[in-house]
Amino acid sequence: MGDRMIVDPQSPIPIFQQVASQLRQQIAAGVYKPNEALPSQRRLAQEIHVNPNTIQKAYDELAREGFIESRRGAGLFVVDRSRAEVAGQAERRLGRDLSRAIANALTSGISPHRIRTLFREALQLEVASSSRRLT
Amino acid sequence: MTTPPIQLVDVTKDFKGHRATDSLSLEFKSGTTVGLLGPNGAGKTTCLKMMLGLLRPTSGSISILGQDVVSNGPKVRQKIGYVPEDPWLYPWMTVQQVVRFASSIYESWDAARATELLGQFELPPDRIIKKLSKGMRVKAALVVALAHRPQVLVLDEPMSGLDPLVRDDLIATLLSARAENTECIVLSSHQIDDVNRLADEVAIIHAGKLLVHSSIDDLLGSTKRVEAVLLDGRLPEKPLPQTVWQNIDRRNWSMTVHPFDETMLAALQANNPISSARIVDLSVEQIFKDMIRGAMSPCFVH
Repeated sequence: MGDRMIVDPQSPIPIFQQVASQLRQQIAAGVYKPNEALPSQRRLAQEIHVNPNTIQKAYDELAREGFIESRRGAGLFVVDRSRAEVAGQAERRLGRDLSRAIANALTSGISPHRIRTLFREALQLEVASSSRRLT
Repeated sequence: MTTPPIQLVDVTKDFKGHRATDSLSLEFKSGTTVGLLGPNGAGKTTCLKMMLGLLRPTSGSISILGQDVVSNGPKVRQKIGYVPEDPWLYPWMTVQQVVRFASSIYESWDAARATELLGQFELPPDRIIKKLSKGMRVKAALVVALAHRPQVLVLDEPMSGLDPLVRDDLIATLLSARAENTECIVLSSHQIDDVNRLADEVAIIHAGKLLVHSSIDDLLGSTKRVEAVLLDGRLPEKPLPQTVWQNIDRRNWSMTVHPFDETMLAALQANNPISSARIVDLSVEQIFKDMIRGAMSPCFVH
């Protein structure tokens, strides 16, 4: 069952963040539903072949963000949250990613006007392809 | 327990006319797996052999689990599981004989664990060591290294020369070893991807010297490539002092900076004839290469 999650050690993104973001997506997609248990730190570590401390770090991050909570003696569970809360979290993350991309673009000499155009194009493309995926 | 399980203080090792390690100081914490990275001849194997007390440092001191390895070698080795780079074992013995022999050496030998590992690795007990493939030999050595439930595990290039499936097997076993009473695992490796999966920390050494020792996540966060564009016909004037490697190719000035923080970009812009600069994230492997290249020769100008 190694395909529960894909980890790329060649990526510049720390492995715990790769794990955390895939868990977030899986929770959002309903792979793990509210009040359902997540695999134990050890089991997930064995399954996807990464250090258990790395899994712990990913779980800590999701717990801090309020996606999951630990219940005494029973393990980690997905928190039942409103969609608005989940979206709020995702928005803050998007904000951070965008700022970094924009800062890089500006130092490369791309004008704000041009950035706006490129953003609009990329958004249209993604919306179109994600609606194709859903139908 | 406050004493770190592995501690090297100012360790220098000289062979005839050659310095293998040069004032190397390292401290590995309890509960961690550390990847020792370095090019061939960097001093990794020498370093590991000194941790086991198999080589005596020319100067400096090494303590394992709070005990000095030079004065307590045999006692310390009882608590260490060791898989050398090319496990020799005893080529004429069968797997079962090697296991029985090892069980007489280690006081804390756990026969049930040995049997369990032999089964898990699908090692034929009656086959002689000489007839085993490289992967099988590494597994046999790992059975011996793990069956006495060591507190410290030292692995010298365990993955080299193994096919991806055997490596996966080995990774799974090492991950389960962590869950037992092993306090600290040190592995030297060229397989940076495997180290990235297994280890919490990396120590990069080159020519016997420590270049960096950090958690992998901190290393990724604090090491960045800056790609700058120089103005026509101009050269850098004040590179960042934290530059570990740089390269100039026409107008393209690339530099890898550690430790990096984003405020440095303004200083770089203010003090150098550049038109733009952007930050690029690096993988562990890229960071490793840049640090080694930088240590070998600080700047290439084409």
